[in-house]
This record gives sequence, C-alpha cells and structure tokens, in this order.
Amino acid sequence: MSIVADKLGKQFGSPPTRILADITLSIPDGDFVSLTGRSGAGKSSLLYVLSSLDDPTEGRVMIEDTDIARMGSKQLHALRNRTIGFVFQFHYLIAELTVLENVLVPALKVHEEVSRRSRAEGLIARFGLAEKMHRYPRQLSGGEMQRVAIARAMIMQPKYLFADEPTGSLDTVNAESVMEILSECNEKEKTTVIMVTHDPDFAKMAKRQIRMADGRVIGDDLNKN
Amino acid sequence: MIFIALRYLLERKRQTFLTLLGVFFGTMAYVGVSGFFVGFQGFMVQQLVNNAAQVHIEARKDYLTEHMLDVPFFGQGFLHHFWTSPPARVEGFQEVQSPAGWYRRLAADPRVAAYVPQLAAPALFTLGKNSVGTTITGCDPKSQAKVTTIADYMIAGKFTDIAVGGNRIVMGDELMKRLGAALNQTVMATVGVNPTAVPFKVVGRFYSGSRGLDLQAFASIQDIQRTNLTPNQVNEIGVRLKDYQEADVMAQTWAMSSPERVESWADQNANILSVFRIQMALRYSMIVTVLIVAGFGIYNILNMTVNQKRQDIAILRALGYDAFDVIMLFFSQGMIVGVLGGAFGLLCGYLLCSYLQSIPFMPATPSNPQGHLHIALTFEIFAQAALMAILSAAFASILPARAASKLSPIDIIRIGG
Repeated sequence: MSIVADKLGKQFGSPPTRILADITLSIPDGDFVSLTGRSGAGKSSLLYVLSSLDDPTEGRVMIEDTDIARMGSKQLHALRNRTIGFVFQFHYLIAELTVLENVLVPALKVHEEVSRRSRAEGLIARFGLAEKMHRYPRQLSGGEMQRVAIARAMIMQPKYLFADEPTGSLDTVNAESVMEILSECNEKEKTTVIMVTHDPDFAKMAKRQIRMADGRVIGDDLNKN
Repeated sequence: MIFIALRYLLERKRQTFLTLLGVFFGTMAYVGVSGFFVGFQGFMVQQLVNNAAQVHIEARKDYLTEHMLDVPFFGQGFLHHFWTSPPARVEGFQEVQSPAGWYRRLAADPRVAAYVPQLAAPALFTLGKNSVGTTITGCDPKSQAKVTTIADYMIAGKFTDIAVGGNRIVMGDELMKRLGAALNQTVMATVGVNPTAVPFKVVGRFYSGSRGLDLQAFASIQDIQRTNLTPNQVNEIGVRLKDYQEADVMAQTWAMSSPERVESWADQNANILSVFRIQMALRYSMIVTVLIVAGFGIYNILNMTVNQKRQDIAILRALGYDAFDVIMLFFSQGMIVGVLGGAFGLLCGYLLCSYLQSIPFMPATPSNPQGHLHIALTFEIFAQAALMAILSAAFASILPARAASKLSPIDIIRIGG
C-alpha cells in the first residue's frame, strides 16, 4: 500500500472544531481516487493531510511505509518535490515566469531544469500549449493556466498527484479537458491521482470514489468505468 | 532562487529602480562626503605636521594662579582664602636648561628624523614709516629645512642664504607686504629685550598660504642670539619624527624626564583636531541617516512584495522549497539591489571625487599650487561604503524574508491566496 491513513483526525481553533475524525484508508499505487462530499465535509482537509501539506492532530499518514510526521524537514521537502505533485483550484502560477519556466519551477529546486526541459516541452505540447510555451500566465485563459499547473505538477514524474478541485474554476469544456489530462496521467504514467471534486460526473471518472460527510468517510466504492 | 528573485525585480522595474537609487545615492554620498572630509583633514594634518616641528621642546613656564600661595602663606587652617589682589606671575625659564643634553638624547633616538635648536624672540621691524611686530626665529637653516617644509615655500632666494650670518633674514610674504619691503633691501629690527634697532638684509621671501607663518621671519641663530643679547641661548628645540603619529607618546615620555615643556603637534593644535572629530561625527551621522533611509526603501518594497507574493510562497513551499529557500528568494532581492546600488554608488562616487579633485576651488598655495580640493580616494572609504550598502541591504531584507518564510502555505491555499 502506498498511502495509508490510520485513524486520522484533525481539529483546530478555540474552542476546538473537529474537521476530520477517525479516518482509516489505504490508497494503492496507480489508483485514481475521487474525494467527494458537500462543502465542509472535510475533503480538502483530508487531501492536505494525506499530501503532507497539513498535520493531523490524531493518527498518522504513511507514505511508502514512512510516517510523514517523523520525516525531517529535508526529507519532507524532497518528498514534496520529487514524489508528490499538486494541482489546486487556483493555478498558483508565478506571474513573472513564462509557461515553460513555470513548469520547470520544481526542477529548479534540485537544479534539474536543463535535464527536465525536454520533458517540460513534451508535457506542454501534450496539453495543447506548444505555441504558448514562452507566454506569461496573464496571456493565457483559465483552462490553459490550469493545464500549465498540471504540467508543473507532473514535471518531476511524481508518484502521487493531489488535485484539490482542479476543475472548480473552469468552464465545462476546459474542465473536461483537465479531467482527461488527469486520467491520462493516471493511465499512461501510472501516477496515483487523489482528487477532490464536487462534480459527480468527474468523480465517476475516477476508479474509486470516497464519500465524506462531517469529517468522516461514509462511503468508499469502486466506480464501474 | 536568484533566477526567480531577478525576475521579480525585473518585473517591477520602477520600484526596483527607485530602491536601487536610494542605495546608490547613499553609497555615493558616503564616498563623496568621506572623500571630502578625510581628504581635507589629511591635507590639514599634513600642513600642521610639516609646517612646524612635530614635537616642541620649550623652556618651561609656570603660571602662578590665585590659590597656589594659600597654604604657604596661611597654613592648613583655613578652608577659604580671599585675596584683595591675587598673586599672578609667570615662573620659569627663558631658555632650554640643557640643550647639549637634549642634542645627545635626540641624536641617539632612532625615532627622531631631525631636530633644530631655535631662539624665537619678539621683533619689531621698521622700514621707513612702516612698523610690524612679529616673531623672528633664529635657527640653523639646514636643520630647519629638515624639520619643517619652510624651504619648500621659498618664492625668492634660498632659505640657506641666512646660514652665512651677517644679519641676513628670510621674511614671509605677508610681512614683506606690510613692511613694503623688497628683496635685498635692509630693514631695521628691534629684537627681544635689546632696545637698539639692528639692520637686517632681506635675502629671501617665502609664501606658505598660512597667514600666521607668512608674518614671521627667520635668521641664523647666532645672529638672533647676538641681537637679542642672549649668546648661546636656545628657547626651543623643534623635532621631526620618522612617524608623526608617535609624537604624542614621545612628547609625554620626554616631558616626564625633563624640566622643559614638551608638546606634540597634536597638543599644540588640539582645537583644530577637536573640530575634525566633530566633522567626523557629523559625517558618520549624516551617512548613517542616508543609509537608513535607503534601507527603509528596501524594507518597504520587500514587505510589499512578500504580501503580494503570498500565493507564490505557498506554491513554492508545496513544490518542495523549504523555509530557507523562501528566505533566500526575498533576501537575495534585497542583496541584489544593495550590491548593484552599492557598486554604481562606488563608481559614481569615484567619478564625483575625481571631478572635484580636478577643479580649482581655493587660492593656490605652494603645497597646493592648483588650488584643487583635497579628496581622499582611499581603499578604506570604498570598503566602508560597500560594507554599509551591503549591511543596510542585508538588515533591511532579512526581516521581510524571515516573515515570508514563516507564512504557512496551507493557510494561504485554504483561503485561496
């Protein structure tokens, strides 16, 4: 099992508000999981805890058999850089960098921007942005920016891709395009995709659907694709 | 991180330029103002050190003050003494007590470059209807030329012309003007306590640019001893050292073991040196103010950038960049501005100083024939300016950079930036 959550719980604030409770699940390599539920169900919180961006207050998360709470700063940042890719509802592209440079930002951290350049160009072309490689984010549409964000998440060939409502701010055409890209990443590159979505149709595109309510898992089903 | 930092700076060209301008002006001002002050002071010190002896050994004079005789007259029994007419008198000697002992001592001291025995006396020069009171110094001209730069200031005749004796004198330019005297003319001089006026032939004229010195006259020591009716008397020994900065220590040491008053050039010019210290304090406070303003420029811009770039910070942290990387992202922006602004400031400061050095600014003197400003272009000034630019940039950058590194990516992402 590649990602394992063991009795995860999280609460914060004063007085404490519980947002995750007693979550135990495992996500095997190559899986495509959608986290669904109403607003406030705890989907995004679970995604952030599973992806190491946030700390649980109870339980633990194991990635590759290692408890991420026990990782040192260096190990944790290396994990985020090389093993995990992130896509958020907002693209978070750096306005001062071109499309190609944005895609290469993770590689820049480990001084692999030269060796990863051809992969970056390949990803950009694959996502239909070959002609816009040297443009700045302000010169792109919302859908294009989100595709650049996915290319950035995929540049280091991560084992896991965490996507928090990646289609949330896109129109239907662009949203479908993004979903196709995520499916392609899962199928062709065997990347494990864990995605938060509100959209039931997109949730069904995943292999597995975890339904949440009030910070708890209330359903964990395989989709019949 | 330098790559992204540079992109940030280039994207905000106007802000970057204005911030850079602050450091630039601060650094240039430091080089310019320091060059001016240090150069001027260096010039003045050289004048003080070279125009007169660096250590003066003089016949001691003690001054009787109001309460010095209280105890000898009235004993220990009274706390307060009041004099209707307080005692006042100058006590001491008119001459150096053991000149030969001093000569042996000075000749044996390896720190002494040269020394000259002198007899200085008040003199009243008369030429026709013109009379001018001043000081005439009797000396050995060869030794005097080694101890001071008087020989370099000669504009007519040679300083050594007084060596042959026969009542020859060299006069300062100002003194000759006031007397209306010309070269080779004979003037009458009443020297010291001798009431008889004696003729002296003017064989040389000097111009130093210092009015005090240019009002004086020099003659052979034997002539002045004879005219002053004080044969063999010496009332001052001027000493030049190999290192003028040792003057204070040597003067204090010699003063402790002799009946003479021994003073260094710094003691004799304490007022001027204290003005220099005030100038230096002003210089530093002005420059520190300028650099604080420049530093605040960097601080404000970086603070603003950190707030504007919260989303970038969040995504960088999510992509594996750690807190140190974020610090470097913002710190390096401040340092780039500091280093570039500092480098341009140093360059323009150098050009400014070079230009100031080349323009005539004050009346020409023998030591400064072109009348140029004396500007110091020393490594120390440039190193200090560079260090101050870098330090102010570093201090101004580290606070916003640290604040940026402490931002929690998850908090930013959760609220959507």
